[in-house]
Amino acid sequence: MSALGELGSLRGKKPVGQKKDNLAGYLFLAPWLLGLFLITIGPMVASLYLSFTDYNLIQAPKWIGLENFTRMLSDERLHNSLRVTFTYVFVSVPLQLAIALLLAVVLDRGVRGMAFYRSVFYLPSLLGSSVAIAILWRQVFGTTGLLNQVLDVFGIEGKGWISDPSTALGTLVVLNVWTFGSPMVIFLAGLRQIPTMYYEAASVDGAGVLRRFFSITLPLLTPIIFFNLVLQIIHAFQSFTQAFVVSGGSGGPSDSTMFFTLYLYDRGFGNFDMGYASAMAWFLLVIIGVFTAANFFASKYWVFYDD
Amino acid sequence: MRHIPRGLRALTAAAVTVTLLAASACGGDSGGASSSADGGKVTLRFTWWGSDTRTKLTQQVIDAYQKDHPNVTIKGEFGEWSGYWDKLATTVAANDAPDIIQMDEKYLREYADRGALLDLKKADGLDTGKFEPDTLGAGEFDGGLYGLNAGINSFAVVVNPAAFKTAGVAIPDDKTWTWDDFAKTAAEITTKTGGKVTGTGALGTNEAGLNLWARQNGESLWTKDGKLGVSPEKTTDFFKYILKLRDAKAIPSAEAISQDMNASLDQSAFATGKLAMSFIWSNQLVAFSKATGQQLKLLRIPSPDGQAAKNGSYYKGSMFWSISARSKHQKEAAEFVNYLANNTAAGDVLLAERGVPPNTEVRAEVTPKLKPEDAATAKFIQDIKQDLGDPSPAPPVGGGQVEKIIQRYTTEVLFGRQAPDAAAKAFLNEVNGELK
Repeated sequence: MSALGELGSLRGKKPVGQKKDNLAGYLFLAPWLLGLFLITIGPMVASLYLSFTDYNLIQAPKWIGLENFTRMLSDERLHNSLRVTFTYVFVSVPLQLAIALLLAVVLDRGVRGMAFYRSVFYLPSLLGSSVAIAILWRQVFGTTGLLNQVLDVFGIEGKGWISDPSTALGTLVVLNVWTFGSPMVIFLAGLRQIPTMYYEAASVDGAGVLRRFFSITLPLLTPIIFFNLVLQIIHAFQSFTQAFVVSGGSGGPSDSTMFFTLYLYDRGFGNFDMGYASAMAWFLLVIIGVFTAANFFASKYWVFYDD
Repeated sequence: MRHIPRGLRALTAAAVTVTLLAASACGGDSGGASSSADGGKVTLRFTWWGSDTRTKLTQQVIDAYQKDHPNVTIKGEFGEWSGYWDKLATTVAANDAPDIIQMDEKYLREYADRGALLDLKKADGLDTGKFEPDTLGAGEFDGGLYGLNAGINSFAVVVNPAAFKTAGVAIPDDKTWTWDDFAKTAAEITTKTGGKVTGTGALGTNEAGLNLWARQNGESLWTKDGKLGVSPEKTTDFFKYILKLRDAKAIPSAEAISQDMNASLDQSAFATGKLAMSFIWSNQLVAFSKATGQQLKLLRIPSPDGQAAKNGSYYKGSMFWSISARSKHQKEAAEFVNYLANNTAAGDVLLAERGVPPNTEVRAEVTPKLKPEDAATAKFIQDIKQDLGDPSPAPPVGGGQVEKIIQRYTTEVLFGRQAPDAAAKAFLNEVNGELK
């Protein structure tokens, strides 16, 4: 490629004054770098230290070694929060991606007013993790909420979807699925990359819609699916706002919406146990790391790169 | 880029860096050591939880105080009970605690034992000489006074007489009623109104009900030495009684109750007229009266055998005034708390919304001026005086969690996910685990 060649020759040349340019470059990077170190890496290192201490927010932290981590083994509420989080991630993400893909394929077939639909479907993604939407959700799924009023029209007796432990997590799953817009837009971009000649050739050979989807669209889209999957899984593991607002900060009813992040917050700020909360944060980082690594490993077997 | 001299470029970048550093450093340094007793401007931050009614009254008092003290500005920070404690913990942790804090018994030791609160005995300008003697005790421990009683209240049953009238049910005599009478009355209301109004709100949506239940049976939620004092058997009975209320349809559905646990006072089932009775703290009568627009009535808590003197009631500090140990204006903060607690002009505005004033002089001054709902609160507190049991020991450190925990187990029981005895055992286990 010519651009790469040019870059290579630039590198070889080492023009005069490059050092000066580097300095300026770093200086211009400085605001971002400072932010990275002060706001991200600094607190992360601090929390790593705190995870080995007993720290109640007010008094100085006390070193207790691995005690916080061993405590997690016997903390039943933590185990419950893991169950809730895993259920949420592994139900909502596949559903969300399936709907995103389906709608992307439909929209890609040249629906009239596509720009309009694209915007409309994308809107929830912009709003999805906001407090306002979570409050709206509480109203929609409450005992006298919109959903029950609609059900009432059809003569079905509704219930308090958010206040019943068996359905509360379901409403959060629906909320996450509803924000299918951002993976959908990425799918749309991916669909545009698939050369139309494949479809033309397949049509000539008599392949139907489904056949074309499963034999052309899906394989060629696997890199995009993979990308969305990694991103959405990480995103779902970190969900907090929805559960916090919908449950009024309690993770209730009966801990049924107690995400790992919410329990972490509860320990840290509700129970003044910041050392334990820090240890939990690092445990979550490890969990997400393991799942992302597993994802990359598995991708070798199902992701098809057309190059 | 290339035309700009090297020095200038470096300088620009350096300037950007310095500006940024300065900006970020500002956050930690504002205020500094500018403690100013010499007439300089002082800004105090004052935080409280409560309904709209409380916020309006408190703001009136702040305005009046600022008029008399032009050098002091008081910034109110208020919110609902449910979010209040998260926010307070966060600000305290960030070394950004408000100067004056409305504190609850549940969290008093939590903060005081960790050195976050000022010993009010050492505060200049705060006088407790006119306080009724036993009202100071609840905020006093380890030789210091960390919370100043802001009002006296008691756990009670609130009644909406209009709902009783609609149902055609007479309001029972609270001096002789038993828990069975209570359940029967509540169920009758639900039946006679065809479910339009439910008899009562549930017990077990906070720990006060369990505490009274325990006290009626010779136990107590907390012991004096800071341990759990209620047995698994009595806790099981308590949960069983809640189930009895549920099965008799005396209380709303499990879903409605669980939803109500997170509702604000103004949005709660009783405030919106869906309940004929509920369990409240006596001072909340004022806010509930405003919210319902009804003349409400307070009744004594039922007892096991119909003797009001054995219903375990006690005077509680409805809330406390505390001052942050890290406040830069401790003197000014103490002076303001002194105004809240001892000034009759402040008492005239606040009346009994935070409970009956513990300062006897203020109480004598405001009693004739009380509005009907405040007067009803004050009268209730006066009426039950002869029937009071021992004072209730304050919760130990970690005890603040008990409200959330009992809510969770009440939900478990109401939804039938745990049997009363299993829930009781798990509840006590968990509370014990939180104590430090």
